[in-house]
Amino acid sequence: MRNLKKILFELIMICLAIVWFLPVYYLAVTTLKTQQDATLHPLALPSHWEFGNYINAWVKMEFPRALFNTFIITVSSVCILIFIGAFAGYALARAKNKTASFIFMLFLAGLIVPFHMNIISLYKIVKNMGLMNKLLGVILVDVAINMPQTIFLFKEFIENSVPWELEEAAIVDGCDVTRRVLLIVVPLLKPVVSTTVIIVTLNVWNEFMTPLLFLQSRAKGVILQEVSRNIGQFSTDWATMFPMLMLGVLPLIIFYIFMQKYIIAGVAAGGVKG
Amino acid sequence: MNKVNKNRIGIYFWIFIAPAIVIYFTFSILPFLYTFFYSFTDYTDMNPVNLSWVGLENYVTVMKNSLMRVGIQNSLIYAILLTGFQVILGLPLAVLLDQKLKTQNLLRAIFFFPAVFSSLIIGYLWKYILSSAESGLINSLIVSMGFSTVNFFSSKFALYSIIFTQIWQWTGWAMVIFLANLQSVPLELMEAAQLDGAGSIKRFFSITLPLMCPSVKIVVVTGLIGGMKVFDAIYSMTGGGPGNATQTVMTIMMDKGISDGFYSVGAAFGVCFFVVVLILSAVVNKLMSKWSEAIG
Repeated sequence: MRNLKKILFELIMICLAIVWFLPVYYLAVTTLKTQQDATLHPLALPSHWEFGNYINAWVKMEFPRALFNTFIITVSSVCILIFIGAFAGYALARAKNKTASFIFMLFLAGLIVPFHMNIISLYKIVKNMGLMNKLLGVILVDVAINMPQTIFLFKEFIENSVPWELEEAAIVDGCDVTRRVLLIVVPLLKPVVSTTVIIVTLNVWNEFMTPLLFLQSRAKGVILQEVSRNIGQFSTDWATMFPMLMLGVLPLIIFYIFMQKYIIAGVAAGGVKG
Repeated sequence: MNKVNKNRIGIYFWIFIAPAIVIYFTFSILPFLYTFFYSFTDYTDMNPVNLSWVGLENYVTVMKNSLMRVGIQNSLIYAILLTGFQVILGLPLAVLLDQKLKTQNLLRAIFFFPAVFSSLIIGYLWKYILSSAESGLINSLIVSMGFSTVNFFSSKFALYSIIFTQIWQWTGWAMVIFLANLQSVPLELMEAAQLDGAGSIKRFFSITLPLMCPSVKIVVVTGLIGGMKVFDAIYSMTGGGPGNATQTVMTIMMDKGISDGFYSVGAAFGVCFFVVVLILSAVVNKLMSKWSEAIG
């Protein structure tokens, strides 16, 4: 009886999950249909599989270039943030004085103050620095946006999980700060690095507003800009539209399928949404 | 724990923290200060150089502007409803998926799945699903059941349709945060309560819920602040329309502040936005600490 109840409960949850998943299924299945087929039988499997839609979408959104730009922006932001987070987090965890807590407070304030309120002055600063329409401009702004959370995660982790006693032993052996960080602290940072990589990758890959503001030329555009540019043009042409949406999310679907366990753990550990 | 009130790494503190401070100052603190400065000047795209002080004029413009009031109001409705549903739906979902099931990991992965993607693309997808044409997925179902089509993006429904899609997208995110918190609920406590004859609903309210305070706080605070900033979902589904029915703080800031070149008014609007977010965080903090005290 208890077992039966459990199986029934699991079945109900599976049904709920199927309903939850339907929009994604609908997206995937529509990409492989002709427009007529999609309108007449929206949820059925394609009557004949139509892969040509993808080629069309791939060409129209200049997918390889957009993917390349998105990739460069994301990887650079992640690398810079890990480097900055490790060193600044270490400094803030090891220096216990008024200056350090004031600086930490400044970073924490960034978790509450939305950068969105400053887009006008940010626009002007990026322009004056000659960073307009350059990937570097978006990278630096994205780094600044994600910095409070990154520094918070690193500082807390080092304070709680990298004991000072380990370093004290090294000091006795005559190890200076730089060598201690590189040889003792950095190897212990794996969990917080993986959390940061996952959270920052999702944030930066999905960031639409900073590219929209700072990358005007099509040659510099990211995937999301290509999707929104083309959707206006082909809004009635489903057969091209849906593969574009699919191509827009495909890199992250692959990332999710392979990293699923780590992503869910990373989001849970990160605990703050951008 | 002995708290040492000193700097253990001397000058290296400044060397290590310098890169972070340089970038954060240039692209976060400086823009913040400039926003306040511009909000008291006559800075526009027509007058970009010789700025003069205009006092509170821009703030008066913002207060008098009904569109900007609508924007703040819509952002508030969006943030509060989205956050509320994330908690109301995400908590029970987390408790259910905390049970030992064969498909536990797969089910969690499916509910979390939409949160991985950009709200922009999720928005475009739902725009088609909710399309008022008979070919729209939901409307084709409604028509096949013999009813007439519903316009989900009419000025009356549009904001709520958008909120609905975002609840679908972000409930799984809240669930993951709650699930992490549930691991800290001691099993012995649950078993003891079960022996005392407490039903599962009673156990949820008297044991689980009070212990979930930390994660509820995370979801509520980030949900509200994130919700106030909503842009991508609106941009993709309605662009602020029909009329101005779904204009939010950020759609107005992009239109009026950046595209139309009313920089100083945009900056004043940004400051007002900041004040609203501050008040909202203060209220939430107050309520949350009341809750902690009540169960403490």
